[in-house]
Parts: sequence; C-alpha cells; structure tokens
Amino acid sequence: MTMEEVSVAAGKRKRNPGKKKGNKAKKKKLKMLVGKGKKFRVSKKMRNLFEKRARDYNSDDEEEKKENSAELATPNDIRRGGVGGDNSSEGSDDSEGEQEEEGGGEVQPGVMKFTEGVRAFRLAFKNIVKKSVANDSLGPVLSGHKQLIAKKLAEEEAERKVKGEAKKEKHLIAEKGHVKPANYLDSHEKFLIGIATKGVVKLFNAVNKAQKAQKGLDPSRSKDAKVIRKRRKEAFFSELGKTSLPAHGSSSKGRNEEGPAWAPLRDNYMLTNPKLKDWDKVGDSAIVDDVGRMSEESGSDDD
Amino acid sequence: MARFRNRKNKVFVKPIVKKNQQQQPNVDHITGNKIPKSFVFSRGKLPGPIRQLQMDLRKLMLPYTALNLKEKKRNNLKDFLNVAGPMGVTHFLILSKTETSPVLRVAKTPQGPTLTFKIQEYSLAVDIAQSQLRPRCPQDLFKNPPLIVLSGFAAGDEHLKLTTTVFKNIFPDIDINTVKLSSCQRIVCLNYNKDTKFIDFRHYSIRLQPVGVSRRIRKFVQNHQVPDLRNLQDVSDFVTKAGYGSESEADEEAATVTLTSDLSRVNRASTKSAVKLQEIGPRMTLQLTKIEGGLCSGEVMFSEYGNGGNKKKPDSEEDGDNDDEMKDSDEDNEGEDSEEDIGESEEDEED
Repeated sequence: MTMEEVSVAAGKRKRNPGKKKGNKAKKKKLKMLVGKGKKFRVSKKMRNLFEKRARDYNSDDEEEKKENSAELATPNDIRRGGVGGDNSSEGSDDSEGEQEEEGGGEVQPGVMKFTEGVRAFRLAFKNIVKKSVANDSLGPVLSGHKQLIAKKLAEEEAERKVKGEAKKEKHLIAEKGHVKPANYLDSHEKFLIGIATKGVVKLFNAVNKAQKAQKGLDPSRSKDAKVIRKRRKEAFFSELGKTSLPAHGSSSKGRNEEGPAWAPLRDNYMLTNPKLKDWDKVGDSAIVDDVGRMSEESGSDDD
Repeated sequence: MARFRNRKNKVFVKPIVKKNQQQQPNVDHITGNKIPKSFVFSRGKLPGPIRQLQMDLRKLMLPYTALNLKEKKRNNLKDFLNVAGPMGVTHFLILSKTETSPVLRVAKTPQGPTLTFKIQEYSLAVDIAQSQLRPRCPQDLFKNPPLIVLSGFAAGDEHLKLTTTVFKNIFPDIDINTVKLSSCQRIVCLNYNKDTKFIDFRHYSIRLQPVGVSRRIRKFVQNHQVPDLRNLQDVSDFVTKAGYGSESEADEEAATVTLTSDLSRVNRASTKSAVKLQEIGPRMTLQLTKIEGGLCSGEVMFSEYGNGGNKKKPDSEEDGDNDDEMKDSDEDNEGEDSEEDIGESEEDEED
C-alpha cells in the first residue's frame, strides 16, 4: 500500500516539476550530497539517447507520456538491482523527482549521477524492506491477483486430495486378499508341511523298494522282464495294502496289467480316453476296482 | 501362430547353449501317457500383486508351460483354444479379478470341465522368501515337474472327486520304477478343510539331508568352511561334541528315507536321509465356487451358492456386479439358468 503511495507521490512530483514536494528528510540528505558530486554536462546527442532509454524503460507508466519527466541517467545499475521493476522505477522516479526539485543549472533534469542513483535506490529499497512483508506464500503481490492465486492453490489442493484418496482406494482394492505370511511357522503350516512330508516319504520309500528290486535285472532280456513284472505286481499290491500313496502312485497302478516295457507296444499307448480302452472287448472292471481301492486308501489316511 | 510356437521354445534356451531348442515331447516315452501342458494367463486388467501371482503360478507349472506367454487385450478364449490344439496344451489356468476377490479358473481343453475357485487369500513367492531366514532356490529347481499331494478330498462329494481328478492330471505322471529321486525336487500340496470348505494350496521344495551325522560335521562337509577350533583342546572334541539337537531333528525320525543311489556327495546310498521341505512359491487359500461342464461355459454342475450359477464373464469386471446381485436372489430352476449361460457365452465368443 505504501509503495503505491510512494509511486503516486512520485507521479505527482513529476507533473509539477517545479514545486517542492516529497519527503523533507530525503531532500535534505540529497542536498548535502549534491554539493559533493561532480558536474555532469551532456551533449544534445547524449540527451536524446537518455530520453530514449528512459522511454523504453518506463514504457508501462502512464506518466511517461510527459517526455521531459521520463529521463534517466545510468539506469543500468538500477535495472540490475533486480528487486522488481516497480521498485527500481519508483526509486528512479523518486530520485528523478528530487533531482527536478533541485532544479539548478548545474545538474540537468532527468539525468542522474551514478552515486546519487545508487543512493536513492538504496533508500527506496530500505523503505520497502522495512515494511513487513506478509508471510504469505504468495508474496507481495497485488490484492486482486492474490485472491486469484489463493483460489487456484486451494483448487489444486482439493484436486490433489481427491486424487490421493482415489489412488488409495484403488490400491486397497488391488491388494485385497494379499496376505504377507508370518515369520514363524504356525501350527497350521506345520501341519501342512507334515502332510506333504509324509507323502514324499511314502513315495520315496515305494520308489526305493521298486527300484531296488529290479536293480540287478535288465529289462530287455525276456526272462528277466518276466521277473521284473512279477515283482512289480507284488510290490504294488503290497504297497497298496499297507499305505496310501500320494496321488502319483495312482499312475503306476495302471501297470498292474501285463505289458511290454516299451510304451508303444502296450495297448494303451497314447490312449487319452481310458474308456476307449479295450474297445473290442466287452467291459473293463479292473479300472473301476482301482479307483475304488484308491479312494478307500485316501479315506483311511485321513482318519 | 508361429509367434506362439517360438515363444514357447524359448523357455529352455539359455543364451549360450542352443541345442535345447527342440520341441517338448508330447508323450512321455516311459509311461506312454500324454504329458499335460498348461497355459497360465489372465483375463482383464489385473492389478500388480495378481500379476505377480500369475508369474508365480507359471513358474510353478514349469517345465510344461509357456513361461513367456504374452497376451493382448483383444485375445479371447477362442484364440487360446486355437493355439492350444497344435501345441498339445491340455489345461488352462485363468486368473481374473472381481470386486470381491481374485478368481482362479482351472479348465481342461478343449471341452473339459472348468473349476472356478475364489482366492480368499494369497501370498506371493517373494513374500514367502522374505519371511524365511534362509530362503532356498537351487539352480535347477524348476527343471522337473512337481509332485502333487492331495489330502482331505476323499470324504467329499462328486465335485471334490472331480477336483482331485483335474489336479492329478495337471501334472505329468511319474513311473516309480524308472523315476530318479533327484528329479523330484518340488511338491505341491492341496489340503481340503471340511469345516471351512477351503482348500489350502502350498508349494514346497524338497531337500534331502543325511541323518545321523552331527550338525557340525554335516555343515563342515557341505560348506567346506574351516571351523573355529580356538576353544577346543583337540580335534576329537569337535567331532564328538554332544550338542543339543534342534527341535526339528526329533521330528525327522518319521521322515527318514533310505536311498538306493547316491544323490549327492552327502546323501549316499543305503544311508538314511531325512526329507526336509521348505516352502517356495505362492501360497493360496481357495474356495471352490463353481464347476462348469464346458470350457468356461456349459452346464453348471456344481455351484457353491446353490443358485444355478451365473457365469462370470471372463472379459469384463462389470458383470461381477451382476453376479453378486443375482446370487442374492432366489433362483429355483437350475435348468433355466444354464440355458441363459449358454446364450451369454455365445455372445461373448463373438468378440
């Protein structure tokens, strides 16, 4: 607010270059310094150049339409100040106005000495910084703009919140049913491992028995082949009688019939539908018996 | 179609060795049975953890599955069916997500039954590895298919029997006369709980450890690390020191196995070894909700909610809403609904 006042005041000063207005303290300070400063004469060329620069620089100011008020000397340093276009223009306006108030033939109106420009800038800057800037994330901006920005930010905030919630819900649905297992083995897991272990042990024992039995025999020799078959049958039936094998044992139960050792010579080679077996015979009760026996077996296991 | 074929073969090609680039056998030349192969894929856009679950399931089904199967949005079930034929793929595992929970469908191609499971809870393989002190994944763990153990199913009804059959057939059979114990390194365990009707799905890795050897000596032999003998007077102290056995060693008594052959340097033939399982891979709790006679279509043979089943459309999630609503309403005649289902499925396949 006060910045605006300053700029307004500066504007007024510009319009009435001859009248003495503005901060008396500033005037006094400037008066003291002026005597120390050097004299600076400009040629007409230089003056035009300065005018042009000033016009460009203050191109958004309304007061700028008055040409003689818009001259600046050494605008470079002020521009480089980087605080803001407003500040520098205000500073320069201030100093401009003050210069003009001085009037005087020694110093040309609208043209600044470097040191004085710098001083003026410093004073202006100090004034601005002294005012406590609102600790707003928006910074020192015009109030109307401020509200707009505030609204926008609020909208963005709300949007983000909604999106975040939607994402969370999605994530929850995605993870539904996903359970991280515990570090230890609880009793149910131990029970299941026990079941699997028993199955494996039975299978391995059966395999060992069967394979041990036929260790010394060679399947290609017909005499031995018969012995092998016999032993297999016995081993199987004994196994079936004792224990219940895991499901894979059932595959071997299919071999309780006589048949050549090599697969393609058997009757059921590549026979996917077991019902088609013995298609030229009447019926096959052997298979039914096996299934019945197997279910009995597994029944007894679970008691 | 040629695209798919190449991708499947790349599963086993390491950058250096090229000779593995052969077609996988369709028929096991030992048992003479057809080797079941599977596709694991998803319908609809899945959120992050479920995609991880899909990868875990693919690894589980190795080696007889397409590890790098890529599906596009516009692929529908028919496309997969068309590819499955020439490649000998027998099972589809389809993951999808509804509002309430993820859904796993196990289907047998080409016209087999479809089992629909609701996944109540799941844990990824990485979660499990993080929760363990010493996670273990040996190099060629996934070279061989896993074993499968089903327990608690026998007491159930028809639908449970069908479930057991389907699961047994997903993994290739082993012939116990010729199988090498060193190739059985993984095991999948399915346990049915009668009270809660939940099926626990676990995946373990098998490890054999020689028993009867003191811990220190065993570790020394396995790790080749020179032990710290500072506080001992004599080497015999190291060898014969009676340490407290760990709790698990007591349980091992029941779990010992006698080996026929040398599996490794420490597990020698005719010595006792203990079987140790460590969990790897995903952990799931499933609930069987529906069995359909066709491949994601057809007559509903069993439905958890007793409502004659409203087919969950594989493509969109919106229909999950419909399903939920209709489940609440009372439907008496199952026959009517199955006709509706077939009608709906025909519309779908026109996509």
